[in-house]
Amino acid sequence: MTDRLTSVREIIKTVLPGVDGVLALRSGPGGIVAPYLFSKEHPEELAKLAIWPKEPVPDTLKIILKAHPEAKIAIVCRGCEERGIVEMYKHAQFSLDNVTLIGLQCLQDEAEFCRCAKPYTVHAKTTIGEPIEGVPDSLTDKIAAMSADEKLAFWKQEFEHCIKCYGCRTICPQCFCNICALEDEIWVETGRLPMPNPSMYHMVRAMHMTAKCVACRECEETCPADIPMAVQFRLIARDVKEMFNYEPGAIMEQKPPQLLVLEEGDYARTGLPH
Amino acid sequence: MNEPKIIGFLCNWCSYRGADTAGMARMKYPPNVKIIRVPCSGRISPELVLRTFREGADGVMVLGCHIGDCHYSTGNHRTAKRMPVLKKLLEYTGIDSDRLYINWVSAAEGEKFSTVIKEFTEKISALPPFMETMK
Repeated sequence: MTDRLTSVREIIKTVLPGVDGVLALRSGPGGIVAPYLFSKEHPEELAKLAIWPKEPVPDTLKIILKAHPEAKIAIVCRGCEERGIVEMYKHAQFSLDNVTLIGLQCLQDEAEFCRCAKPYTVHAKTTIGEPIEGVPDSLTDKIAAMSADEKLAFWKQEFEHCIKCYGCRTICPQCFCNICALEDEIWVETGRLPMPNPSMYHMVRAMHMTAKCVACRECEETCPADIPMAVQFRLIARDVKEMFNYEPGAIMEQKPPQLLVLEEGDYARTGLPH
Repeated sequence: MNEPKIIGFLCNWCSYRGADTAGMARMKYPPNVKIIRVPCSGRISPELVLRTFREGADGVMVLGCHIGDCHYSTGNHRTAKRMPVLKKLLEYTGIDSDRLYINWVSAAEGEKFSTVIKEFTEKISALPPFMETMK
């Protein structure tokens, strides 16, 4: 781990003179790791550089670019964060013209912790570490293999734990609607816990994650009730791959299916009647 | 055999007119489907379908124009894109995805309309009431 940290620091040092700032993680007061914009003015901060645990840097990038659209920023990102950035770019959250991606390849134990299928970057020109193979998502496979009644019981039990803190919505790099459907009384009842079954909150969120979820698992990480909600997103992502041949964050030029009209081939794969 | 509650979201330009055609031809179909006319089947968001189930519907139908015939040219492409995903989500949550039905019925297809309603009502009648399965 130390090796990687040193090489990230070296790369930031070489990149720093050419940009306005480098977005990475810093171990702040009390050892809390959070996104931090390293600048030429304060190179001493680089001593506190951190790379783990991962934090949602795409969101921070969006906040910075919203306030300073012309700023030249380099960002140290892992595979999932890079996909998040690409997907946000496709949905016109910011421009990538002035953004330099520095890829950080995950280690085997990090990938296993995240059940990550793609723990490597694909777009970044500069990368740190060697890309490794993805790990199979055993939890998703286990839930997918359940019978309908088992699934219903499983999700009912999980969603009963939900305290509706909206943490998963807030931390998600792909949740950027100006008006959030989950805050609308029409769709999600307020003041009722445990939420009635079927959970409108989680199902609406799962629908909104279609062809957007980049499998960073920030939602699961932040959830105080440990609800494995990314399992549903992952299952839907497999269908989206099959139906629309689309993987969020994979190909920069490919438009997401939400923004396209159906073509003959896509329509046949949705399984609808003619 | 129970009397299921079914909500049918019908597109104003094709399926609703199709229901009209079926009525004018005096075709018989079960009265379980409560029809809601919408400007376009693309108006039916997943939230609407889920809320309909939440309110106690046993089945939801979304009927629209055939692909290529949409009054708004590509409105029903939205339906064709998101309803199959919603069906999958229902399946992954343990809800019978047969409870959601999507088909295309044009203004001239009165007979298809009555068959579709008949078949769907039969299918839903065989299932237990939705709210009971949620308890």
